[in-house]
Amino acid sequence: MPTRRPVPTLAVLIAAALAVHVATAQQLTLPNQKDSVHFAVIGDSGTGGSDQLHIAQRLTAMRNTFPFEIVLMMGDNLYGNEGPRDFEKKFEVPYKALLDAKVKFYASLGNHDEANQTKYKPFNMNDKKYYTFKPPNGSVRFFALDSNYMDQEQIAWLEKELAASQSDWKIMFFHHPLYSSGSTHGSDTSLRDQLEPLFIKYGVDAVFAGHEHFYERIKPQKGIYYFVSGGAGKVRRGDIQRTNLTEKGFDQGYHFMLVEVTPKMLYFQTISDKGATVDSGALPRRETPATPK
Amino acid sequence: MRLDLKRGVFIAAIVFATTGIAELVARQQVNPDAQILADFMERVKAYVALREKVDGDAPKLQETKDAAKIKAAQLALAALIRSARSTAKQGDIFTPPIEKKFRALLRPEVKGPEGARTKATILDEKPAVALKVNADYPSTEPLATVPPGILQALPPLPDGKGLEYRFVRTHMILLDTRANLIVDFLLNAIP
Repeated sequence: MPTRRPVPTLAVLIAAALAVHVATAQQLTLPNQKDSVHFAVIGDSGTGGSDQLHIAQRLTAMRNTFPFEIVLMMGDNLYGNEGPRDFEKKFEVPYKALLDAKVKFYASLGNHDEANQTKYKPFNMNDKKYYTFKPPNGSVRFFALDSNYMDQEQIAWLEKELAASQSDWKIMFFHHPLYSSGSTHGSDTSLRDQLEPLFIKYGVDAVFAGHEHFYERIKPQKGIYYFVSGGAGKVRRGDIQRTNLTEKGFDQGYHFMLVEVTPKMLYFQTISDKGATVDSGALPRRETPATPK
Repeated sequence: MRLDLKRGVFIAAIVFATTGIAELVARQQVNPDAQILADFMERVKAYVALREKVDGDAPKLQETKDAAKIKAAQLALAALIRSARSTAKQGDIFTPPIEKKFRALLRPEVKGPEGARTKATILDEKPAVALKVNADYPSTEPLATVPPGILQALPPLPDGKGLEYRFVRTHMILLDTRANLIVDFLLNAIP
């Protein structure tokens, strides 16, 4: 005779829900100030697999306690085919709750992405492979670059936009990391030679990249903060060959980042697929550079 | 004194004449290369003109949240281009003199320790793509990064027209990113 499982009472269900909520809330290390800019970072996400779905669910859950309105995508937004079903499976379904809540995703192109993704409205690229935007609150300007193809046209555009920006915070995001301790790819030094002088000259504060399927926070380089965050759909376990670049690394699971920018500080928290905080901290804004000549 | 002056004028005349000849020789040496590159640009322009002509018949690819429309427009454009240049073959754009010139432009970029870094960046991805004019670039294959130094060495492609130089291992392709189509290719562009 089969035993009947006890039916949970309403109170038990509420308690369980509260427990989950509290556990999530306790995990947040960010100040979560009302007027600061809140955003999330995901990279190399578009597999359409269960791991992407799982980390997307964690990201969605964190929005209950940390109400971000922006998600930056570090590229490789869609692996493999790019038919309508792929957009569904690799983007629309995993992030449905966030899309329904009007969270805005801003994509950059990875080496697995077709250029026509710029036409896809939910990626907010405005039909451009590189673009800039500024959230309505806070003095933060974001710049998305196409690191696959850094031609003179793009470099000239970037310099013009950086020179014109009056924002306190200038934050870059693109696919290929200028600094990385990954054994599979490593630092893109050719790209670094082109971009870093501009970043220094125009006072870029922080740079987010993907491509490497792990998390790495680089020791500040020439006063600039660099993050590698390419583990929201793929992971390459044990790929970080810790070098003197590495401030903190995590290559044992999937992850995403939550970031909060106040006038003086950038706070960040990196959360794994297990819900653990694998890195967190607060970084002061760079000193204003000398007026560019 | 008068003799020195005469000699000076004579020497100056010789120097002037020699410089003129040297400039003329130099110009003649530069001209063939310039002609080759101008020819390349003309061929690229002709391709862009052809695409713009057929583009008028394709559904307009506007920003949309409907991914099906994006794919449909891309495939339609590719089909129209294929039909309009059905006889296109390898070397129509990268003609033998252009091929030779491109290899000469690329060679210094992949030589020496600096060049090794550039080459490593290109070969970081090893896409498996069958090189065929008018074929799709398969979306299942990654695109190799084109290092900035390489792009500076090559003649710039028309701005905002969706044409890119790309590498498939050591071969270079001219890719139409709007139609996702291989316009032409150059075998063993880098050693």
